[in-house]
Amino acid sequence: MNMFKKEEGEIKEGETETIIGPSVKVEGDFHGEGSVVVEGQVSGTLRTNQNLRIGANAKIKADIQAANVLIAGEVRGNLQIKEKAELKSTAKVTGDITTKVISIETGAVLNGKCTSGNGIGEVKESPKPKIRNNRNNNLKKEEF
Amino acid sequence: MYFYLYDSFLNNKKYTSILAKIENRLIDLGINGKIEKLSVLKSAQEVVEDNIKSGADTIVAVGNEATFAKIVPLVAKQNGITLGFIPVVENAIAKFLGIPLGEKACDILSSRLIERIDLGKANDFYFFSELNIPESKDLTLECNGGHFRINSTNHSNIIQICNLTYTPLKREVGSRKFCDPRDGLLEAIFTPTTSFLGRSRLDLNKRSVFPIRKIKIKSSNSLSLIADGETVIKTPVLVQVAPKKLKLIVGKERKF
Repeated sequence: MNMFKKEEGEIKEGETETIIGPSVKVEGDFHGEGSVVVEGQVSGTLRTNQNLRIGANAKIKADIQAANVLIAGEVRGNLQIKEKAELKSTAKVTGDITTKVISIETGAVLNGKCTSGNGIGEVKESPKPKIRNNRNNNLKKEEF
Repeated sequence: MYFYLYDSFLNNKKYTSILAKIENRLIDLGINGKIEKLSVLKSAQEVVEDNIKSGADTIVAVGNEATFAKIVPLVAKQNGITLGFIPVVENAIAKFLGIPLGEKACDILSSRLIERIDLGKANDFYFFSELNIPESKDLTLECNGGHFRINSTNHSNIIQICNLTYTPLKREVGSRKFCDPRDGLLEAIFTPTTSFLGRSRLDLNKRSVFPIRKIKIKSSNSLSLIADGETVIKTPVLVQVAPKKLKLIVGKERKF
């Protein structure tokens, strides 16, 4: 899956995109509407159901939830990633990572437990209710 | 029924000819209506409200971007009223809406391509484009019901809450990413300034952009916020998006 347009983490235009630049600091429970790019400071929690890119100068003290993450900066906190986590050579992560696929470049620092593989990081869906069919394929009123 | 509101600067004789051409074109297209000219003695609010009571359902602002910014909050407060714009001088709003200058704008009005767009609401005041916030050390922005706060780290940011922007958000050539006035969101934009040869410049590559629905702007000292370059609002201010609040006649060449 090509999660980012360019290797350096360009996110496609047109998506709702949050950019936390180097001149701002975000504190609290941040829930992004779409893809998130962090080049500044974040503390608290950081959640998005899309892609997250953490730039080389970013400093994050937060638990993170995202679909995909590319890390080039500093992260202190636990990461729960649905699909793919990529750690660039400049990445420094202190915390546990749970993801389906992980890629770690030479030089990246990871202090924490890493759990990866199929079925890991997926959000479990609640089971669908079973509906019994009768011979005519009609549902009885009492079954609803 | 159409109602045309001319700004006071159009009383200058140099605009007589262009206004005559506009009025003739409106008659040709069959969309002429009542005309009123603003003056020092006539308040735009009273004029708009009186004409809506008399049955006007389309208000057309004739003038420049200041005229447009003045009329938007007045029309937004009324239900079911459509806003049109005839620009008489070059301006960014007209280009953004895809409306040409002068009599050519009458054809856009006549084709009545209507977009329902969002507006920003700062306390009780509606704004079309942006709310400018002066940088201050004790400034705090609480977003989406206080779930998170944004603070400036260098205190040299230009801070804006935008419903739409006339220039792309990114500096790259060919970038067409503008704030979309139909997405049900506002954007809080922090643009750092840098000093170069003694002059202050905006560093667009280090911009921060936060899509938000609601933001509370607080400061221990009272700050003056400027909406659409026209109206001053004092802190504390609650800014929120008013989705699809304005019915606006636009051209095919619009940038959203």
